[in-house]
Amino acid sequence: MTRSELAIKNAARRPLRTAVTVSGVAIAIAALFTLLSFQRGYQSGVQGELSRLGAHILVVPKGCPYDAASIALHGARWPCYLKAEYLEQVRTAPGVGTAAPVFMNALYDTAGEQTVYVGVDRDIAGLKRSWRWSGTLPQQEGDLLVGSDIASRRGWALGESIDLPGVPGHRGTVRGLLETTGGADDGFIYMRLADAQRVFEHPGELTHILVRLSDSDRLDQAVMNLRGCSAGLEMNVVPLTHLFKTISNLVSSTRLLMGAIVAIALLLGGAGVSNALLMSVVERTREIGTMRAIGASRPDIFRLFWMEAIQVSAVGGVIGSALAYASSRAVELWLRARLPFAPTDVLLGWEWGVAGGCLVGAILVGSIAGLLPAWRASCLTPIDAMRTQG
Amino acid sequence: MQPVISALNLSKTYRRGTEQVHALASVSFEIGAGELVAVVGPSGSGKTTLLNLLGCMDVPTSGDLSIMGHPTRGLSERALTRLRRDQVGFVFQHFGLIPTLTVEENIRLPGLFSGKQVKHRAAELCTRVGLDHRRRHRPHELSGGEMQRVAIARALLNEPHLLLADEPTGNLDSVTGGSIISLLQELTAQGLTVVVVTHNDRLAESAARRLVLEDGRLAPSI
Ligand SMILES: Nc1ncnc2c1ncn2[C@@H]1O[C@H](COP(=O)(O)OP(=O)(O)OP(=O)(O)O)[C@@H](O)[C@H]1O
Ligand SMILES: [Mg+2]
Repeated sequence: MTRSELAIKNAARRPLRTAVTVSGVAIAIAALFTLLSFQRGYQSGVQGELSRLGAHILVVPKGCPYDAASIALHGARWPCYLKAEYLEQVRTAPGVGTAAPVFMNALYDTAGEQTVYVGVDRDIAGLKRSWRWSGTLPQQEGDLLVGSDIASRRGWALGESIDLPGVPGHRGTVRGLLETTGGADDGFIYMRLADAQRVFEHPGELTHILVRLSDSDRLDQAVMNLRGCSAGLEMNVVPLTHLFKTISNLVSSTRLLMGAIVAIALLLGGAGVSNALLMSVVERTREIGTMRAIGASRPDIFRLFWMEAIQVSAVGGVIGSALAYASSRAVELWLRARLPFAPTDVLLGWEWGVAGGCLVGAILVGSIAGLLPAWRASCLTPIDAMRTQG
Repeated sequence: MQPVISALNLSKTYRRGTEQVHALASVSFEIGAGELVAVVGPSGSGKTTLLNLLGCMDVPTSGDLSIMGHPTRGLSERALTRLRRDQVGFVFQHFGLIPTLTVEENIRLPGLFSGKQVKHRAAELCTRVGLDHRRRHRPHELSGGEMQRVAIARALLNEPHLLLADEPTGNLDSVTGGSIISLLQELTAQGLTVVVVTHNDRLAESAARRLVLEDGRLAPSI
C-alpha cells in the first residue's frame, strides 16, 4: 500500500461526493480543452487557408466591404470590380514576382446549391504551387478545371462536357481534375479568365488580383509600391500577414468570452475540490488523530490530503479532455455559426499537446485547491483530533 | 538497566477560559522494560492526560520525561513525532482503525509513515494476534475484540519498546476483554513494556504494578 493508494481509498469512501467533485473539475477542463484546441485549430486553420491561397498580397477593389478577403478565400459573388488595366501596373510594381488576375462569381442553381466559378489565367499555376491535377489547366474556350469535391459530388469525369450549374445556356468541358487540397478550392470550378468575364458579362474587369512577391521579406516595401502606383487609389492592397492579424482580432472577443468562462469554471471546479476535502477533514478528524498517534508527521498528513486533491483533479482532467473531444463536433458546429470568419479546416480536434496541457492544468488546480484542506488537516494537534467524537 | 519511562515532576495544566485545570500535578515515577503497569483512578483524574504525555502526543506544562533514555524536553514537533513513531505503540478504546483499509493494510499503516519494509512483519503480526483468516476483511466485518487485536498488531508494527493503551477493553464484553488482557500479558512476557489505563478490575489486577491517580496526583502505590 502506498500513500496514493491510501488517498484513492479515501476519495472512494464517498463515491457520490467524489463524483460530483470530479465532474466539476471535468467540466472546467473540458472548457479549457475546447479553448486551447480552438486557439490552435483556428490559428493553424487560418494560416493554412492563407498559405493555400498562395499569395503574399491580395489586391481587391476599393469600396468593397470589409470582408472582401474572406470572399476571396471562401468564394462568393463580388459586389464590386477592378479594371483589368490595373493588372499591368500591379505586375510591373517593384518587388512583385507573379500577379494573377482573378474573376470570381458564385451562382445558385435551381436546387439552391451554390457554385463558385473562378476565372484565371496561366499565372495561377505560379501561385498555387501545392496544386496537383490530372489533365490540363484551362487553355481554350470552355475548358474547365474542377475541384475534387464538386467533381465527385456531381460525378464529373475528365473530358466530360457539362452544363455549367447555375448558368443556363453555357457549357464547358472538364479538362482538368484538381486533387484534394483540403481548402475552398475543392469546391471551385476554374475556367479561363476571358471565359469568366464573358459568361458573367463583366468584360475587362477583375474581382481581385493575387500577388506573389519575388522576395517575401520585402513585403512592406512592395505594399508601399503598390499603393503608390497610379491605380493605387482604386485598389485595396491587403498583405496577408496583416489579414491574418485582422482575422485573429475578429475572433478575439469570442476567445475572450471563452477564456472568461474557462477561468470561472476552473475556479468553481477548484472550489469544489477544496470544499469536498474540507468536509472530509472534519469527518476524518479522529482518523487524522489516530494516524498522528501511530507515527504520521504533519507533512505526512498534509501530503495525504493534498494528494487526494491532486488525484481527484487529475481524474477530472482526463475525463474533461475526453468529454471535450467527444463533444468537439457539436461545439465546432455551434462555434462556426457564430464566428465572423471560420477557416475550412477542422477547428477542434484531438491534440496530445492540448490534452497534456489540460492534465497539467487540472493538477495545478488540484494542488492549489488542496492547500487549504491539507493545511487544516496537518494543523490538527493529535490530542484535539483524538478527542473528537466520530 | 535503563528505565523505559522516567518521569520527574510531570505536570499538565489546561486552561479553560480563565480557569486553570491541573489535570496532572507533579507526578514522578519510573517504568522498566517488560513491565505491565495499570493506570487507574476515577474519571477525570488525569489518566488519559498522563498517557498522552507518555506517548509524546502532548507536551507537559512542566517536569521532565525521558523515553528510552531520550529526554523529551524542548524537542521539536518533528522529533516528537519520530520518537512516537519509533518507540511507542498506541491502542485506543475506540480502536481507531481506518474503515477503508483491510485488516492487513491497517496493520501496515505505520510502515507508510516510517518508510520501513513491513509486509513480512505485518503478516507475522496478523498471525500472532490470531487474525490470519481475517486478513482481507474490513473493520466493519470484525467483532470488537478482533478490531482491538488489529489495533494492537498495528501498534506493534514498528517494533516499539513501549505500548500505551487507553481503556483497551472499554468497549468489549468481559470474555473478549479477557482475551485482550491475555494478549497484553503475553506481550509483556516477551519483554514489551505496557502501560494501560483501565477501569477493568481484571486488567488492573493482572498488572504487576498499578499507578493510582487522584485529582492529577499519584496516590501511594500498593
Ligand atoms: N484539552 C483540555 N482542556 C481542558 N481541560 C481538559 C482537557 N483535557 C482534559 N481536561 C481536563 O483534565 C482532567 C483530566 O482529564 P483526563 O481526560 O486525563 O481524565 P481521565 O482520567 O482520562 O478520565 P476518564 O476516566 O473519564 O477518561 C479533566 O478534568 C478534564 O476535564
Ligand atoms: Mg480518559
